Formats: sequence, C-alpha cells, structure tokens
Amino acid sequence: MDETVIEYIRRTVLKIPRKEIKIMLQKWGFLSRSQLQTINFQQTKENISRRVALLCQENSADIKEAAALDIIYNHVYPNKRLWSVYQMNKTIYQMKEKETEFFDIRDFKTKFKRKLHSALENVTINFREYDDSAIWIRIAWGTPYRKPNQYKTSYVVYHSQTPYAFVSVSMFRSNVPLLLEALVAASNYNHICAMELRSHSLNSLKEIVFNRYSQNFQTYYPEALQEHSVEPESEPQIVHENRKTKEKIQGMNQQAFWDCSLPKLEYAQYKLETMFESDPKMGVLHRKQPFRCLVKFSSPDLFESLKSLAATSMAETSLSPLLTCIPQKPMNNFRITEETSLISGRLSTSLCLN
Amino acid sequence: MEEGKVYASDVFAHLEMLEMRDHEAALKEEEELLQEEKLARLKARVKELRLQRDELRAKLDLQEKRQLEKEGPASDPAQFSPRAVLQWKIKSLQAMLQVFYLTGIGAKLTRRGVCFCISTAYEGTYLGSYYLDLLTKSEVKIYRHSVPAFIPLKQIAEQYLQTDIRRFLSVLSDQLNAYAGRRYQADQLQEHFSDQIKGTLQRNSLYNLLVFNYNVSSKSKTFPFNVRLLYGDLCCSLPTEVIVSCRLDAPASLTETAAAHSDLFRRMPLHKAFRSFSSTG
Repeated sequence: MDETVIEYIRRTVLKIPRKEIKIMLQKWGFLSRSQLQTINFQQTKENISRRVALLCQENSADIKEAAALDIIYNHVYPNKRLWSVYQMNKTIYQMKEKETEFFDIRDFKTKFKRKLHSALENVTINFREYDDSAIWIRIAWGTPYRKPNQYKTSYVVYHSQTPYAFVSVSMFRSNVPLLLEALVAASNYNHICAMELRSHSLNSLKEIVFNRYSQNFQTYYPEALQEHSVEPESEPQIVHENRKTKEKIQGMNQQAFWDCSLPKLEYAQYKLETMFESDPKMGVLHRKQPFRCLVKFSSPDLFESLKSLAATSMAETSLSPLLTCIPQKPMNNFRITEETSLISGRLSTSLCLN
Repeated sequence: MEEGKVYASDVFAHLEMLEMRDHEAALKEEEELLQEEKLARLKARVKELRLQRDELRAKLDLQEKRQLEKEGPASDPAQFSPRAVLQWKIKSLQAMLQVFYLTGIGAKLTRRGVCFCISTAYEGTYLGSYYLDLLTKSEVKIYRHSVPAFIPLKQIAEQYLQTDIRRFLSVLSDQLNAYAGRRYQADQLQEHFSDQIKGTLQRNSLYNLLVFNYNVSSKSKTFPFNVRLLYGDLCCSLPTEVIVSCRLDAPASLTETAAAHSDLFRRMPLHKAFRSFSSTG
C-alpha cells in the first residue's frame, strides 16, 4: 500500500506545472518547511517529483495525505475536468417543516460515508472544505473484489444548504447513481436529477446556477447613474455604414443578453429530432422519419462570441431565443422535437449539418 | 366806457395773446397725445419683445438640455444659468435616490414589472445588495434575481408573493439582512480575534451554525473552550441556542465563566462579545 501511495503522490506532483509546485506543496502542508527547503525547484519535474516522493516516504505518507494533494490540485485546476450540474429537490412534506435546518458538516460527512460504504465497501472518500462554503469530495472507486483505484476518481463540489451539486466523473459512469444516492441522503433532500448543463469551467457553472454573474438590473442605485458614460467619437476618418441597422441589432442583443458580462460557457448543443420539410419530388429525403442531426456551437467563450456576431455584422437579425435563453434556463444541451420546432422553425431548416 | 375805446388795441393784443395761448395749448395737447400714442406703442413693443425673449429662452433651454445630454458634464459653469439649474436638479434627485437606497428597499418600474433592490446592513455597516426582477403582467412572478441559492426564496415566494407582496419583501429583507449580519459577525471574529481562536471556524452557507474553539486564560493557564452557536431563527442575527463547553479537567471556576460567556453570546454580536470578555479577562 505504501509504495502505491508514494507513486501516486509522485505522479500527482508530475501533473503540476513546475512553477506552481512549491506553492502547492506549501498549501498541502504535509512536508515541513525545512524539508521543502531541501528541494531544488529549478531541476526537471522528474527529479523534483522523485525528491518529493522520497520525503513523503520519510514522513510515511498515507492515502489521506495523498488524496488531500489530489484535491488541492483539482481545486486549483478545475478546468481539466468536465463538470455536470445536478439539482436536488425535497418533497412537499419536507418543505413544509418549519424547523430550520442546521447544516453540520460532521453529520454530512458521516452520512455520506455511511451511505456510500453500505453500497460499495471499496471506496476511498476524502473531504476538504474551502472558505466559500464549498465542500470538495473526492471518491476513488474500486469494485466489490478489488481495492480502490486511486487514478479513477470522481469529484463532487457541494455548497451547503443549496440544491445544486457539481459532479465530475472520470470513468466509472455506472457508479454515478451510488454517488448521487449518498449525496441526497447526506444533504437531507429526496430526489436528484441531472440538469442539462455541462462545462469544463466550474466557476462559470457556479456563476450561472447561483445567479452570481453581474446581471444588469435596472435600479436607482446612485452609482449606476454614472455608468452611462458617453462613448467617445472614434476616429473621424472611419465612416460607419449601416449605422442604424447596426445600432438596432445591438439594441436587440442588449435586450437579449442584458448588457452584462456573462459567464464563460464552451458550448451549446442542440439535438434536432425534427421532420425535414422538403419538396415531395425529392423522393429520397421525403420520409416520414425525424431527421436527426446534432448542432454544436463551441467557442472559448460562447456568449462573448454571440454578442460580437452583431458587432462584426456576421448576423443580420437578432439572435434566436434558443441561444439567448441559455443563462436563464439554465441549460446548454437541448433536444428539439417536433413540438418545439415551431419556435425554432428557422433554426431547423437553415443550419449546417454537423 | 372810454376804457373800452382806449384799450381796443389792447383787446386785440389780448385776443391775440389768447389765440396764441390757445394755439400753444392745442399744440401741447397734440404733443401730449402724440407722446401718449408713442408710449402706448412702445409699451406694446415691449410686450412683444418680452414674449419673443421668453420664447427664445425656452428654445435655448431645450437646446441646452440636448447639448447637456450629448456632451455630458458642463464645461463652463459660469456660462449659462439654465445649465447650472439643471445640474442642481440632478444633484437633488441623486440625493433623493440616495435617501431611498438608505431605507433598505428600493424599486424601479420596468417595462414588464418592477425591479426591487434589497440592501443589507448590520449595526451601521453597509453590506451587499440583492436584486429581484418581478413581472407583474397577469400574476406576480420572479423573472430573475441575484439572491444566493441557500436563501429559501422559493418557499417565501410560494407563501407570500401572490397574496401580500409587502410581507414577501419584508420577510425576504429580514432574512437577507440577518444572513448578512451573521456573516459579518463571523468575518469580524476571524479578522480581529484570530489569535484567540484555535483551529478553523466551522460554518455553513447560511452561517446558522458556528462551531469553534477558543482559549480562555485563568490563573496564567489557558483552557480551550468549545462553542456551538445555533441560529434557529433565520430572520435573526443572534443565536437561539448557545452551548459552551470545556474539557473535563478544567477547574470548577471555569464553568461559571462558561455560563457567563454563553450569556454574552446570546445577547450581543459575536465580535462584541469577544471584545468584552477579552478586555475584562
């Protein structure tokens, strides 16, 4: 067990960029200051990792410490994983209870471990709390007959007393129901279901779901009055053609996106299951089956690129409500069937096939 | 009657004089009439000119306003008094809005409904603001909001939004203010008394359960106390239940101190309680 733990720590250190290794080891706090001073952080990562492994062996690191380092790494680089959002509900009976709930982290941890262990013995569960009331849970999966594989981990990020959980599963998708069941039991809810919202950027998901992005609310707050600064006249040699149309489109965009900075989403996916309306003479395509295709809009920052479509005159009309409703719903994986195609009529016939 | 004969020329002279006088008087009258006419005409002209001046002034005001909107703040304050008046009006409006903001709940009518702004404060310190955009077309619905996910907004809305919107706003404002107050106390505690607290402060999103250990010195020895604060009433920023416990090997006198501390925690804000017993010892 010890050898594998040390090797696991070494491999985790190898994942970290060289400049950040020192900071992360300090955050970890397992190696003492004097021990850290003996490491030469200028050498290659391979050598640094071997040195760290040696020191960990001296300190007899166990799986708990190794897991802590893994959580810290994932907390600093959450964008390497794909996160899905789940929403939990209570029954009406539970909601009517007038007693206030005191979320106690110790209770949560015990309940979670108990529930998960009752389903599957061979799991490693580790927790870490952060200042913004976020609880990071790391689960390493095994099977009923094999010890947990530390390289196949799932992560759950949960903010207490909220109905949302962010889950990142790496491999064993069949274990997800066990994880969700444990989460629901520990956080005192009844049901959990997946929201159609997925992204690599955990912070963006949090922003959308917790309403934290700076929505431009119309208020009389005094500071807001000064925000309408007059835009300076750009260079006089540039003449803007179609100024009115451009301004009209920008106005429509502002209405749609409320003129605020939206969180970063990487993609929006639309699965079309609509009928292809064609000329009856084109016999081949004239079938009574839904025409399936997948349309995916991807970008490093989806909303910014949509906003700039009008500014760069790439779109002549206002954006479809299917795109602008994403932050409101919130979802970024859509399934469009015949009933909804009336709204997206233009969308289904004028898009390119993926 | 010789006088009559003798003064015949005199009479003529007198007549002439009278004629002259009459002529002069007539002239004077004419002149006066002319003067009056002139005066009347001039008065009418003055009226006309005044009207014109008022019209032009109004036009200028309008232009000034438009100019102000285009250019932003006034460049030359001594130039035109209408601009100064407008600026004064803007300032007084801003002051009025500031007053409304200070009351804690502000609102603005939007195209589709109302947008409320609930500001929170605790003991004189202003904390964050939260917004609610409501639709009021057919029934009142929450369109979007910036209330944190752990505040039970859905439940409060289900109870009061349709029936009594004032109560809805008041309950929501109480809960938000209480949450902001609890969080402020915990932050203040960590900021100012971190040396007395051992380990980390255990809390949750709503800050309605706080557990931590702190050191109490008695007879040059320090003993760790454990505190468990439960805030059962979400609209209140003081705890409903306080459990202060010490280790079994602690001297008996400390149980009194524990009871005293427990009472302090129940009555006053967290950081103030700490300040009071760290000063009395």
